[in-house]
Amino acid sequence: MHPQIAAFARLAGVNTPAVRAIEGQKTLISRTMHGFYYDGPHDEIVVMSPLAQAILVFRGGASGEEAPIRVIQGPHTQIQGTPYGANAIVTVDPVNNEIYVPSVPDVLLVFDRAANGDVAPKRILTGKSGAINISGQTGVGVDPIHNLLLINGRGAMFIFDRTASGDDKPKAVIRGPKSGMNNVHEFQVTPKGWIIAGGGDFAADGGFVGAWSIEDNGDVPPRWKIPVQQLTGYVPYSVVLDPVHKEMMMAAAGRSNTIRPANGIMNSVITFSWPEIF
Amino acid sequence: MLINGNKRRNQGLRILVGAAGAAAVLFGLSAAQRQWLDSRRVVSIQEYSDTGESCDRPAHEESSRTASAEQNLFASFQETAFQETTVHAQDANTVDLTRPPVRDILDTAPIFSSVGVDTERNEVYLQDSNLWSIRVFGRLDNAKPGDPPTEPRRVISGDKSDIQFNSCVWVDPGSGDIYSTENDTGNSIVVFANRATGDAEPVRKLNVTHRAQSMTIDEVTGELFLSVQYPPQVAVYGKGANGNDKPLRLLKGPKTRLADVHGIAIDGKNKLLYVNTWGNISDPDVAGSGRFEPNAISVYRMNADGDTAPLRTIQGPKTQLDWPGAMSVDPATGDLYVANDVGQSIIVFHRDDQGDVAPSRVIKGAKTRLSYPAGVFVDAKNKEVWASNLGNSSATVYSLTAEGDVAPLRIIRGAEENKQSLKFGKTEALIYDSKREEILVPN
Repeated sequence: MHPQIAAFARLAGVNTPAVRAIEGQKTLISRTMHGFYYDGPHDEIVVMSPLAQAILVFRGGASGEEAPIRVIQGPHTQIQGTPYGANAIVTVDPVNNEIYVPSVPDVLLVFDRAANGDVAPKRILTGKSGAINISGQTGVGVDPIHNLLLINGRGAMFIFDRTASGDDKPKAVIRGPKSGMNNVHEFQVTPKGWIIAGGGDFAADGGFVGAWSIEDNGDVPPRWKIPVQQLTGYVPYSVVLDPVHKEMMMAAAGRSNTIRPANGIMNSVITFSWPEIF
Repeated sequence: MLINGNKRRNQGLRILVGAAGAAAVLFGLSAAQRQWLDSRRVVSIQEYSDTGESCDRPAHEESSRTASAEQNLFASFQETAFQETTVHAQDANTVDLTRPPVRDILDTAPIFSSVGVDTERNEVYLQDSNLWSIRVFGRLDNAKPGDPPTEPRRVISGDKSDIQFNSCVWVDPGSGDIYSTENDTGNSIVVFANRATGDAEPVRKLNVTHRAQSMTIDEVTGELFLSVQYPPQVAVYGKGANGNDKPLRLLKGPKTRLADVHGIAIDGKNKLLYVNTWGNISDPDVAGSGRFEPNAISVYRMNADGDTAPLRTIQGPKTQLDWPGAMSVDPATGDLYVANDVGQSIIVFHRDDQGDVAPSRVIKGAKTRLSYPAGVFVDAKNKEVWASNLGNSSATVYSLTAEGDVAPLRIIRGAEENKQSLKFGKTEALIYDSKREEILVPN
């Protein structure tokens, strides 16, 4: 419908209008932006244009019908989705100046952060060793402090060395019925090493946002858990963190006919105080 | 006292040890890592717990954090120094944190993505992608300044209705059947009987390709035309198609120049099919095949099938096309009306227009009350054109010959006057801009 990126003041509440929105033809954005990144040190917004197999980089303060300052797109990029699942997710390692894009068939593409145009990835990790089955919808995160790369897929969190490539094997895998690592969407890794992700059994009203450790391995439950579905009626999609105010924000939306928040409002951003993880 | 004194000394020692450790960690980091840490924004000294795991702070201990700096030496360090960055593997049970959220960003009003008009029964149908509903109003309803939101005659919504992130509503002029196209999570067209209300069950449900956007029906041939954003295509079904029925034909392929398809309209008299595209295109089977093209309206014969090139295309800066939404044809003149979403306008093209051509008429300006119009419908019987506005939860109607900055003839409002909609479509992702303290949310 209308694939805007709307910006709201941190303290915005019910019916508070956006302070700005990136929208319109010149922006090159399209639907299915399921995971993107604000690169604070470089003050840039990095987002996929999923239907066009492109990575778009905007000024941090971009507004209105503003064109991206860089576009990575073309045959050398190897970016590819599927008819059903376009390339929806991107993340950035601003410390080591790299952009990560999960892609098909079963690959994680790593680009130079400053790349522009039709450029080849500098590194490619396949999902073969972990049986991850990476696609354009696979969650990915980077921990530049502990030099780790995290990939979520098939109900598991795979933890690699940050520079893993080729068929390198994961160092650890958090997976199993106790872990709750199903239904995870985009996630965050804190500088302390907490993995913050939404997951759980949505059909059983068990959607939660949990905190696991980067040291975890195996069928490990989260250290802390906010049972957001029981508390709000919404299931978690992506999460993001505000370390200054020690808060976690969660994107939440209706999800098929079986999961309808009681208030009848199918789009929401919900903020929780969570000092324990900061 | 002795115990307390020892405790304080130990506490002070631990803070010093923590600070020294943090300094070691800090100086061991590269300049880039320190920049990412963004100084006090992401790290602070943590008070070591006297018992248990140093990194775990159960929720019930939260009160100690709120003590003033005078009461708690640790508190004075919190915003200025660094905490250790080591975590360890889980060795305890999960702690459930059942505190309620501190705030929500949400829009309590319907967000109107599409408009359809039943000229036989004088009713206006508005598709709402925020409350997952179809709202039915009287055609002559009119919210005057200061009036409360317009009360709908009926609302179709609920589990059984299967309405989700629907992007198009269309009313059969004969039977009054209500068709609604789902754009994301439902992959379907649901059909309701004309008097359906509340949590009504669809009389039919056609399963369609993911990312279906808009539809229309040719009453003469009994064919239903459906646009699909990606992979871009126009699927043509029998009007009564149901369940897993397959399309009668499929307009799809590189020659079609379809690219992120949105609005669709037919000119039954001249046997033409209009399709607008946003230009975001790639072949999902070919890596790196993505490209961008300008927004465009492509014109095909109504019976076009397979990988068929358009007869002509309207495209270029003079067209003013900017994320065009729904389209509708005036059967008397063949004029094509386009909801020009980000252009904040309704633009009108002649039947034979092609290339980089300016619209023959533009409805735009502050008096029009247009705000991100994504839906448009030509009511040929009453010589009116309707727009549904994403940006202010309203539908506005104009004379079919309107041009320029004209006030609407009537307004249906889904919210209070001067409403600024959040324009949410599906809030699935977000980022936090720590510099501006803003939460960014895509649709």
